[in-house]
Amino acid sequence: MSRRFDPITLDVIQNALGSIADELALVIMRSAYSNIVRDAMDYSTAVCDREGRTIAQGLTTPVHLGSFPDAMRALVSQFSSRMADGDIFIFNDPYGAGGMHLPDFYIVKPVFDGGNVEGYIATLAHQCDVGGLAPGGMAVFATEIYQEGLRIPILKLHDAGVPNEVIFQIIAKNSRQPVEVLGDVRAQVAACGNGEKGLRQLIERYGVEDFRLYTGELHDYAERLIRAEISALPDGTYEFEDFLDGLGENPTPIRFKCALTVAGDQIIVDWEGTSPQVKAAINGPMPTTHAMAYLAVRCAIGVAIPNCEGYMRAITVKAPKGSIVNPNEPAACGARGVICFRMYEAMLGAFSQILPDRIPAASEGGSSAPHIAGRTRDNRPFLISGGLMGCWGGSAARDGQEGISNPAANLGNAPIELVESRLPVEITCYAFVENSGGPGRHRGGAALMRGYRLLEEEAELVMRSDRRAVLPYGLFGGLPGTPSWNFINPGPGQTVLPVCPFASVPMKRDDIFLHIQAGAGGYGDPLEREPGKVLLDVVNELITASYAADVYGVVIANGGVDEAATFARRQWLVKQGPLSTYLDHFAQSTGTQGLARRGPGLG
Amino acid sequence: MDKQFQRSYRVGIDVGGTFTDVVATGADGRILVRKVASTPGDLSHGSAQGVAELLAANGIRAEEVDVVVHATTTATNAVLEAKGARTALITTAGFRDILEFRRVRVPELYNLAYVKPAPLVPRQLRFEVSERLGPLGQVWRPLDENSVRTAAARIAASGAEAVAICLLHSYANPAHEKRVRAIVEEVLGDKVFVTCSHEILPEMREYERTSTTVINAYLGPVMKAYLKRLEERLIELGTGRALHVMTSGGGQMSLKAAMNKPAYLVESGPAAGVIAAARIAKRLDLPNIITLDMGGTTAKTAIIEDAEPAKTSEFEVGAGINLSSKLVRGAGYAIKLPFIDVSEIGAGGGSMIWFDKGGALKVGPESAGSEPGPVCYGKGGRVATLTDAFLTLGYVNSKYLVGGALGLHGEIARQAIREQVADPVGIDLHDGAYGAVTVAVANMVRAVKSVSTYRGRDPRGYTLIAFGGNGPLVGAMIAHELSMARVLVPPHSGVLSACGLLMADHEQELVRSYPALTRECDPLELQSAYADLSRNAVTTLTAEGFAPEDIEVRRFADLRYAGQAYELTVSVPGTGIPVMAEIDSAFHDEHHKTYSHMSRTEPVGLVSIRIVASVRTPQPSEESGSAPDTIDAEAQPVTREVYFGKARGLHVVPVVRRADLRAAERAGPLLIEEYDSTCLVPPGASARTDCWNNIVITLEPRA
Repeated sequence: MSRRFDPITLDVIQNALGSIADELALVIMRSAYSNIVRDAMDYSTAVCDREGRTIAQGLTTPVHLGSFPDAMRALVSQFSSRMADGDIFIFNDPYGAGGMHLPDFYIVKPVFDGGNVEGYIATLAHQCDVGGLAPGGMAVFATEIYQEGLRIPILKLHDAGVPNEVIFQIIAKNSRQPVEVLGDVRAQVAACGNGEKGLRQLIERYGVEDFRLYTGELHDYAERLIRAEISALPDGTYEFEDFLDGLGENPTPIRFKCALTVAGDQIIVDWEGTSPQVKAAINGPMPTTHAMAYLAVRCAIGVAIPNCEGYMRAITVKAPKGSIVNPNEPAACGARGVICFRMYEAMLGAFSQILPDRIPAASEGGSSAPHIAGRTRDNRPFLISGGLMGCWGGSAARDGQEGISNPAANLGNAPIELVESRLPVEITCYAFVENSGGPGRHRGGAALMRGYRLLEEEAELVMRSDRRAVLPYGLFGGLPGTPSWNFINPGPGQTVLPVCPFASVPMKRDDIFLHIQAGAGGYGDPLEREPGKVLLDVVNELITASYAADVYGVVIANGGVDEAATFARRQWLVKQGPLSTYLDHFAQSTGTQGLARRGPGLG
Repeated sequence: MDKQFQRSYRVGIDVGGTFTDVVATGADGRILVRKVASTPGDLSHGSAQGVAELLAANGIRAEEVDVVVHATTTATNAVLEAKGARTALITTAGFRDILEFRRVRVPELYNLAYVKPAPLVPRQLRFEVSERLGPLGQVWRPLDENSVRTAAARIAASGAEAVAICLLHSYANPAHEKRVRAIVEEVLGDKVFVTCSHEILPEMREYERTSTTVINAYLGPVMKAYLKRLEERLIELGTGRALHVMTSGGGQMSLKAAMNKPAYLVESGPAAGVIAAARIAKRLDLPNIITLDMGGTTAKTAIIEDAEPAKTSEFEVGAGINLSSKLVRGAGYAIKLPFIDVSEIGAGGGSMIWFDKGGALKVGPESAGSEPGPVCYGKGGRVATLTDAFLTLGYVNSKYLVGGALGLHGEIARQAIREQVADPVGIDLHDGAYGAVTVAVANMVRAVKSVSTYRGRDPRGYTLIAFGGNGPLVGAMIAHELSMARVLVPPHSGVLSACGLLMADHEQELVRSYPALTRECDPLELQSAYADLSRNAVTTLTAEGFAPEDIEVRRFADLRYAGQAYELTVSVPGTGIPVMAEIDSAFHDEHHKTYSHMSRTEPVGLVSIRIVASVRTPQPSEESGSAPDTIDAEAQPVTREVYFGKARGLHVVPVVRRADLRAAERAGPLLIEEYDSTCLVPPGASARTDCWNNIVITLEPRA
């Protein structure tokens, strides 16, 4: 550490900045209107230095956390000479304003001291509807960004303290849910005010000079921490590829090919060989691709790094222009979340080659995002939404957990009672699925299922899910997870929907939409799984006794493990080679026997 | 009450991890104190021991004791150590895993090794019954009683000692839950402890309600047994007229109520300290208070306005110590009951000092505890702690702590600070120690902010009440950082939580879901709903022996803008017909105060109504000068060298007693040494005692 800085003041300032970012996050959570923000907590907050570099972040959604730098760079480069005290900026455009997809509104306030910008308060919230083809802004079947809703370049929402009512009106007119959107925007604006007050006090306390010096040092400090960790990894290039199932009735798999190079104290992530951009709303503009690389590296190194932009200097991201991870304008990107998860898992797959004890098998594949929207009899809009998660893959240390958020999008679930009290829907079930997840010495987490019964005359369903054909990968002998399914009115006469329907699906009163999410991948040879653990899974009714015998070779008799029979059964199973009977058990448990997991185009 | 028996004493027992503090107050208002070692095997043993010793030492006969009020960590520990009852859960069909899904968010980012807390009821003990209610309590599918009998039979076979019942939307219609309870009791008899969700928390949000119900059932058998044991021991002593228990919300409960609703007893100790501070605030007519309770392991802070501590119903037991606990949920087990909103962080005397890999100095949350304890205890502790830094700086007596009961080893403490803190960054010994204190103070400042600025409150308008073993040492520094002008250190500050037990009112809080827009709400119906709740509470309290005329009922409403999910609670004054416009207006103001924005045009939604019925407790009224000075004058040096950081340097500081401040205000620097804590008055500040024997530190305005 340089002599000019004392480690005590550094920690004190870091603490104070963290406190401001947390306070921002709390204000938004408590006073927001939409359930995406207040229950799922799909929003983030940051405090930035005078150059717009992040120096602290509120603990919210990882996908967002790495995206502030690109957004702030765009803002600072376009407006740094034209900012006044009291300005508040708003933008969402992925092309030119550093955004990720249109629902994510950035609202940013510069903080002045002595006539100069000395920092920024930045907030980002996922708005529940910004217009476009389908409610919720996640219509997979949009082919250009022009179909996806209101595009906002960097604008002054408040100009020197004066709200620009025109912008508020345009936002309201372009949303199916204007009350929620304006309520959330107000919460973001209020949070900016709170944060500004806190940051001003902090700058006054230390003086501009010291504040600048120490925030500069914070970046170096974070960089030192991460470089020390990267240096401990073996140099080399590690490759991994994973796939998205693809779109609609005849999906073509979409490739995510990642080459991860550790070179001394830096990491280079290269997406050369990844599929080109697609005519659908799942392209991920570069800020997304950056964010996911930062996230994957931070997860892999497993040491707490402060949220200061400096750590990002140790990570370089390369993505071919025109690929799905660096698309050209005007590629659509509303539902780009799904590829975030695939990028993340491809990178972790590469890391698993050098950190086999730390990296788990693949998770459920990311949040499933159903949107059921329509109008009530008295013509009021309704939108039933909320991402569903999830389960983790097995790892060297333990089984994958079920009922837990994906590390790449730490979202919450909305209370069912709250949802039912406000929206015309009955949630018919929310539970773990029997015989799901990938077998392994440490099994993958069990899948979840959730059903929705429509209580209005009609509605349109837009669904984004994945992992039916290409299953969540297992590691080191662990088997892949179980597939994902979508049904209308499951049972006799059911309609099986594609994993990612390329059109909205009509629903009528009393129709039930049932989603079964993918189960996570297993880790290590299933035949090495401790019989006691298999027994416990049977007792807990996560797997059936016949599954235990067929998949794990564990024979259960009289409530206990029959050790002799288990020994024999396991020897027999070893001779059978790799097994896939677990998928048959899963199919039986879920009534999906005989259904093709792949579209006709794939055979 | 009961004057003919001269039952004039009230006794408080606060059981902590290391010490059990026993306090008593009688007709003269003096507070008597006894500290004994806690007895981890059976905490009721140490409690009774402490009471017996206190009575003996002060010549009080057991028959003179009227009420014993108890705060305990037993409930918290049962959850932390997974030592609750084997509990079964009955849910609506299709929703067996609600308890395990939780809110699915995890409290730590980037941690692939994170493990969420194991559900208190494993899946094999979670049973479904066929039924379904809608959000207005309408029956979507009737209860299939056969499914209940099947579940009950399986529970009987499972050996469960407790059963939690939580069905969807039961807050709106408890009929199904009541019927399930009846069948369960029919099948299982009275061997098991049963809790229905509508009994403990009739509010929307199924995970939080399920979790609260489960915790209550999980604690039921354990707490019943513990409280029975304690009652028996007190009866043996002859003090058993009434045993009351402190709740997490800061009120007292009768023993019987506590046995049925043990979930209310989690975190009762910290609540008692805040109640004591609230009573002091009321006595002094101070409207705005922030409390700082710093002990050996953690520091806890809370906010009090108009003598009412701020409350929250978003609590998680076992969540550990987390700066951002309000944001980062999921680390513990949710209990959605009224809690005094205490923000707790890992900064106590035993907190360890260390450097992270980037070279930043850190204090805590790891603690050396009391075994081996800080280096200066000489019990084998090797890692430098905050107490070692205090000692190095001259803040605490280098020879003795706790009135001489604990000898300290100054030289090895200084050596540890030098080797582990100062030398690695090439600074002077004193600067190293001061740095550690500065970092700890910064952590505590963040905790104070989480109860103040996070709620839109500016600490500059507040007085800090500092207590706990270490609170009075750092109170002035924290106040300085936050530009607070005044710090108050009450008498018995080291055992203030126990004192709070003597001051807490007997309370019963009842809540009822009441979904309606205020503008569409019929005030007459609302009044009668409040009246129903009040009647329930008054009936319960009179059954416990309180006179109806002593019971005061306050009304509250939980409100939000239609469309929001989080409520703010406002008071609904009086007992008459509520004026809806006044309720709206109070809500707008509170929203503005908390979030700095509001919208008078937007519809306001009423979510729940609540009442707090309380019976006031007579307050101890210790007069100035009546507190004994227990410090042995001979063991006390007259001055000590104390270091106040680079800017202010080393000072020779007079060491005085609280009584020495009686005559006149004295300018800092000063150290005020007492039996259970030391108070530091830095240079530039001054101190005096007020008529209640509180030390009042006035800080210089910050430039």
